[in-house]
Amino acid sequence: MKMGILVLEGPYQHQAADSAYHFAVAAKARGHQIVGIFLYTDAVNNANRFIDPPGERNIAKRFDDLAAQGIPVVACTACAKFRGMRPDLKTEHVRLSGLGSLAQYLRDADRFVTFGD
Amino acid sequence: MNSVAVVMRKAPYGSVYTAEGYRTIVGVAVFELDISVLFIDDGVYALARGQDPSKLDMKPLGDGFPALAEFGVTKFFVHDESLAERGLTAKDLVMDVEIVDSARIAQILEAAGKVLPF
Repeated sequence: MKMGILVLEGPYQHQAADSAYHFAVAAKARGHQIVGIFLYTDAVNNANRFIDPPGERNIAKRFDDLAAQGIPVVACTACAKFRGMRPDLKTEHVRLSGLGSLAQYLRDADRFVTFGD
Repeated sequence: MNSVAVVMRKAPYGSVYTAEGYRTIVGVAVFELDISVLFIDDGVYALARGQDPSKLDMKPLGDGFPALAEFGVTKFFVHDESLAERGLTAKDLVMDVEIVDSARIAQILEAAGKVLPF
């Protein structure tokens, strides 16, 4: 089955980003395809490559790993501008793009799951 | 055509969710998606007349919803109990909408292929 994912929260403050990551990993392990993960509003902060939590899970690295595995992970360009998330602060494999990507995932997915507050 | 239900659940100011729900509708509506917009709980305040968030340095959100027709978005549903609990009626809203009960909300969500809760 084709799955699309929307994330509405940043790292560490809420569980949403962690849950989205675990959902993607579990869905992939069961043979489902993730058509895309869209990082919207504060969720763009999950793509900050300077995230460096001592002794804790690195949420930015997790999303970057998913993107490196070929899952499209896109952070909203406008949201990034609002939050000073410059392109050079971004993790390597996550891309910046607009709501057109979200629309694409909505169209391509059989199921669509939102992780928010 | 893919159908998407966008659900406004929260008050229009105080957090960004309703504004972003609105922006999402504008952003994705042009991509051949059949969009229904539902207002439940404090989300019904997004359609209340007379919003003036100027002291918050923000723009009124309510005025934007009638304009969504330009993007082909014309299906608006407001939860009757959520309105009543807040002392509001259809006359207090910025536009004509369909006032629906919980069962109808459930039907709409079930019929929509995808649901985006804000």
